[in-house]
Order: sequence, then structure tokens, then C-alpha cells
Amino acid sequence: MPSDTMALETRDLGYSYAPGRFAVRHLSLNLRRGEVLGLLGRNGAGKTTTVRLLTTLLPPTEGTATVLGQDLRTGGRDLRARLGVVLQSESLDFVTVEKNLTLYAFLWGVARETAKTRAEEMIELFELEQARRRKPWALSGGERRRFQVARELMHDMEILFLDEPTVGLDAIARRRILRYLRERARGGLSIVFTTHILHEADMLCDRIAVLHTGRLIALDTADALKQKHGGAREVSVTFDSVLAPGLRGELTQALASRGALLLEPEDPDTAATKVAFRASAAEELLPWLSHWAQTHALGFERLAVEEATLEGVFLGMVGGADGEENAPAKVGDPANRTLPPGGVEGLT
Amino acid sequence: MRIPPVLRLVVRNFASNLDPLTVIIRFGQPAVTIVVLGTMFSSIISSSVTGGSSYTSFLVPGMIAFQMITGGVVSGNLFWLDRRWAMVEQIFSGPFLRSEYLGGLVLTTLLFSLVGVGVMMLVGLPFIGLPSLSLLGVGTVLLTVALGSVFFAGLLIALGTRLRSANAYFTIQSFLQLFVIFLSTVYYPITPRTPKVLAAVFYGNPLTYAADTIRDAFAGTLGGGDLVSLGILALLAAAAFAAAIWGFRAMDLGPIQ
Repeated sequence: MPSDTMALETRDLGYSYAPGRFAVRHLSLNLRRGEVLGLLGRNGAGKTTTVRLLTTLLPPTEGTATVLGQDLRTGGRDLRARLGVVLQSESLDFVTVEKNLTLYAFLWGVARETAKTRAEEMIELFELEQARRRKPWALSGGERRRFQVARELMHDMEILFLDEPTVGLDAIARRRILRYLRERARGGLSIVFTTHILHEADMLCDRIAVLHTGRLIALDTADALKQKHGGAREVSVTFDSVLAPGLRGELTQALASRGALLLEPEDPDTAATKVAFRASAAEELLPWLSHWAQTHALGFERLAVEEATLEGVFLGMVGGADGEENAPAKVGDPANRTLPPGGVEGLT
Repeated sequence: MRIPPVLRLVVRNFASNLDPLTVIIRFGQPAVTIVVLGTMFSSIISSSVTGGSSYTSFLVPGMIAFQMITGGVVSGNLFWLDRRWAMVEQIFSGPFLRSEYLGGLVLTTLLFSLVGVGVMMLVGLPFIGLPSLSLLGVGTVLLTVALGSVFFAGLLIALGTRLRSANAYFTIQSFLQLFVIFLSTVYYPITPRTPKVLAAVFYGNPLTYAADTIRDAFAGTLGGGDLVSLGILALLAAAAFAAAIWGFRAMDLGPIQ
């Protein structure tokens, strides 16, 4: 039974574009009202297909989904009237930005006066004043993207789907849009947001779903994902002299036995003097490491302890799912870690 | 008052895709044809060839029939551009049905064609005077153009749902337009001296039926043959529209190049 607090719930949702060839499979996730859900995944992971499925642009070939209390398969026009969709592809009409905004509002049945007021708000919010009387082909890539998001916000909706809305935007414009979306979510709007800029997802999203080859491999808050998949800290130590191979072997073995994951140095020039690892209780390892260095007459030239990033977590997870989990991770990347077969961590 | 979705789509079609230059060219070209070609050919073509009237009188109903291609091409191109610029997908993600979008295109076609009929009448009036059209004649002209417009719109939309290259679409569209016009009775009648093969090709062209029926309506000589012509046009329009619906159902909504 769909809950009133749920904007969206799917169970084993899937789409196959040819017999046995699935773009998305076994997708079970939910979105609460007023929540921002980030959909992350590599190119071709199934993010856009998921958006198209959840907005009725594609019919599911398996599973069930309830969106705003309506069955996805039968909701049709009534359901779509409650959704907003910013597609990944550029969609434009051949009139000026201003006219585009009011025309789109007209298409959605927004009253003329409301449309005029909103168009002004959107032009200001999305910094389109200079572009207001220009036609789409005269806009820069960033302006086009801003315009597309602005246009979708011309009508009322309960769930907003944004498929890579910030592609091509500068940092200031991106922050402005993200801040606005956050505000709208506080006001009760549910948002599904796909992006390749993981820092954005970390900033904006309440929870993050990671898709890989059409399957959901994780669904949780960014912090929980970092904790589960990344460990809390990354430690990078540069010794004051070269580590002999035997000594390096001893150190890495000792670190691994203490639960640390060794990382491959990014710069081969410093590899001889450097050791990097990730551990959830990195601070506890530091006194031991210091003692070990003293025992072997080594000093620290540099010691850095860094927070794990969502990007690192993502790379580790997707790398792991690609079967690269046994390869040494790079410095800056969190641990590769495999998931239980078919399992989704964090899904409640 | 809430405007029905189909009408909202029609307004959007006109507002967003029909720039003034396109409209002027679409209506201007046949209008210039009436004025220049009509005047020049009237002086060199014997009225016995054109059924006892001037060549301009013969040409005006032909140009009216031509409006069904104009309307059809407008819709076909609208649809193509909407696909190219992902507006089809964007519109379908909103509170619209595919049938409404298709209906919007057909209505746009009809409106465009009917405006074209009016423009051709106005341009032709100084040359041919007020035709003695009966109410049945007016109805027949409008129905003929409407059916023909649906035929061409359906054909081009169906083509647009299948082709993924702009180059291919516009090449086929231009080719089709050119041959449909020249292999019809828009510019010249079929006479006993017309080569049989060419006459057969002419009769395989819906524009021939439309032009001949409109001429009969103008001359007040509508008969059973025109009813057959209308029937053929209706069948062709239904077939083309069905092809467009089929194309729509099977269409991948993703953007195309």
C-alpha cells in the first residue's frame, strides 16, 4: 500500500529494449515527499532510462511502481500533470527565451498573469536577463541549460526529475540552482536528480542511489555511503627516505592486518618513499605507524589525513562492481568493495 | 476557462514554429505563381486547352489544391523539428497524450491549408472574378483540401517517425513535393494527347483528384466522378493517418540528429 509520505516507490522495476537485454533491472527504491534523491552511475548505467521510466516516457517491462499514489503504468496524463521533467537532451522551441517561458507555461495551462510573473522570477533567478530576447540558437551552452531548468519551473509540480541539469554550468550558476532546488525541496517538492558531478550530489541530495549496469547497487545518505564504502579517512605518508622492498612489504602487511586498505600512489616518482591507505579508524593507526617508523629509523616528511569523498566512494563502488576490486585503489579513491550478489546496501 | 490540450498544442505550433518568413514564402510562392505564371501563360495558352476559360482560371483551383501540400509540409516539418529538438519528448513528458499531439499537428495543417485557400482565392479574384461557387461547391473545396492535407501531413509525419537523419527527411520531402506537383493536374490538364503512361501516373497522384474536383466545384459541374475522387482522397488520408499513428506508437522518443 503506498504511503502518504512516499512520493515514489518502485519494486523490481525494469526495462528491456530487446528480449533479455535490460537497460534497467530489479530497481527497488523510494522517494519521500520533500526529499532529494540523487541518481549516480557511469554513462549507460541506466540513470536516464530510470528517469524516462518514472516519468512514463518508457513503459516498464517488469516490476511495479507507484508515483504520487498512482500506478506508473496507468497514471498517464493525470500523473504527468503532477511531474516536472528536465530532460538530458536539449529541448527548445524557436522563439525567444522570454516567449519560450510563457509559451511553455501556456502549454501547461498556467494562467497568463501567473506565467508572466513566474517568467520574470525565472529570468532573474537563472540569470537570463541578457538572453531574454534571444532565440535558443543564440544562447551559450550554459544559458541553454539554465533556460531549460527555468522553463520547467514555470508550472506547478510535486516531483521534479532533473537529468543532468547542471552540465555546462559554471560553479556560480550551479550553486545558485542547487540552492534554489534545496529551497524548493524544503517547501515539499520531491526531486530526482542525476549528475556526474558527485560533489553536487553530496551537497544537494538527501539520499543517493548508485546504479551500475542497470542495477541499483547502493541507496543511502552520502555520509552513510562514505562510511560503508569509503572508510572515514585516507592517510598518506611520505617517509624521509626510500622504503626498501622488504620494509615496505612488512609495513603493508601490518597495515592490512589492522584493517587498512592500501592505496596505489598516483605519482610513481614518489612511490618509493610513500605509503597511502584508507581505514575507518585511521587515527588509531597513526601512533602505531609513528612507532613503527621510529623502530626502523624512519621519519615522516609529510603526513596527510583526509576525509573520504563521495567521488572516491563512487569510483570505488563502481570499480568494485566492475570486478576491479582486487586492483590496488588509487590515492584519493576509497576502498573498492564488492556488494552482496544482487544486494543493495542501505535499502530499507 | 481551461483550453483543451489539443488547442494549446495548436497555439504552440503556430507560435513557436511558424516564423513570418516561412509563412510568407509558403503562401507567397503559389500566390506569385498565380500572378506571374497565370498572366504569362494566359496569353499563350489557348482557352480550348483549359476548358474554355483563361489559364489563370484553370490555375487558381490548382493552386488551391496545392495548399494541401503546403499544410502537410508544415506539419511534417513541425514534427521533424520537434523531434530534432527533443520537444516531442518534452511535450510527452507533460500532460498530453500522443493522440493529442498528433491531433494538434493535424489541426495545424488544416488551419494552415484553409488560410492558404483563402489567400489563393483573394489573389485569384482580380484575375478570375468571383467564382459561382454553390454552398456544396464551397464545402467540396474545403473537404478536398482538408482530406488532401491530412494525407500529406500523415505521410510526412509517418516518414518523420522513421527517418533519423535531417538530410534524408528534407531531401525526400523536397523530392516528393516536386514530383507530386508536377505529376498532377495542378499546372496542366490531362488531354487526349497526354501520353498514356504519364496520364496513369497523374491518376495515381492524390493531388490530381483534388485539383480536378476543385475545378469542377469552381465550374459548378460537380458529379459522380468527384464523389469517387473524394472517396479516394478519404481512403488515402485514412491510410496516411494510420501510418502516422503506427509510426507514433513505434517511435523511439529519444532525440535525433
